[in-house]
Amino acid sequence: MSPGRAAVVEGWPVAITAVVVGIAFGLTARQAGLGVIETSATSFIVFAGASQFVMVDLFRTGAPAPLIVLAVLLLNARHLLMAAAIRPFVGPVSLVRRLGLAYVLTDEAFALGVGWFRRGHRDLTYFSVFGALMWFGWNAGTLLGAIFGADVKDPQRYGIDFTITAVFVAIVVIGVRHRADAVVAVVAVLVAGALRLAGASAVAVVVAGALAPVVAFALRASRE
Amino acid sequence: MMFWATVVASGMATYLMRSLPLAVTLRGAAPAWVRRYLDALPIAIIAALAGAGIAVPDGQPTGGAEVGAALVALGVAAWRRNLLAAVIAGVIAVAALRAVGL
Repeated sequence: MSPGRAAVVEGWPVAITAVVVGIAFGLTARQAGLGVIETSATSFIVFAGASQFVMVDLFRTGAPAPLIVLAVLLLNARHLLMAAAIRPFVGPVSLVRRLGLAYVLTDEAFALGVGWFRRGHRDLTYFSVFGALMWFGWNAGTLLGAIFGADVKDPQRYGIDFTITAVFVAIVVIGVRHRADAVVAVVAVLVAGALRLAGASAVAVVVAGALAPVVAFALRASRE
Repeated sequence: MMFWATVVASGMATYLMRSLPLAVTLRGAAPAWVRRYLDALPIAIIAALAGAGIAVPDGQPTGGAEVGAALVALGVAAWRRNLLAAVIAGVIAVAALRAVGL
């Protein structure tokens, strides 16, 4: 199977989720008082799911602009880690291509892309095709939601909101190569879950992701 | 006006986070501990995303459905080594567990 085809075959459930969550975003943004153009422009320019929901919520409550931008910066600090993590796979491609890849570097694209690289592939087609698929899904969903969103009700009843979490679980399980990986994964799950429960949502993923390898290495060093 | 300034600044903040490590090219080989750290990082981040989504799906602490469904997805992924099968099993499991009130 060609890399582009594999990206579509493996990525379609996630892309459908992007459409559905995009519709939810369009609806939410309209209810918070944004127009169709403003709603679509947010998805087009920011292109970051969780951040956009936080932005709309802060707009609605009248938060000052610097606070909104800071919240987005903190929420997306995890992408700094992701970009650093895929840098070795990206290799010596042109700066323009790397800057293009950065625009579509979402949690989903990172997770599926790493899943692809971990199977020994070195091409960037899979990542690019899936990134583009997600971009179209998210923006199409946003536009649909902004225009017709009032008709879509209760996606949670069908478990659709859980799709992306299930993708993350499966990629970790399939991507674990040895015991050290498994220890890192378990530490990350527990730390991120605990931080989320403690209310530190904005930093949960970045702190857990950055700390888990350190903790796991320390555990191993203390045994040796 | 305020809206557009905020959206553009938020877009720039997001893009900065995504592009910075990809834009810079480091010369020479990284030290062993850096390579080991970067090697473990992808799994750590994806596991952190999973942990956050399991503990607090959609802004509310889980009632247990997400934990159960995550274990189902884990089991199917370990058994079949197939992403799609694990995801479909996880989604069906969460819908079923929520339907029985978890």
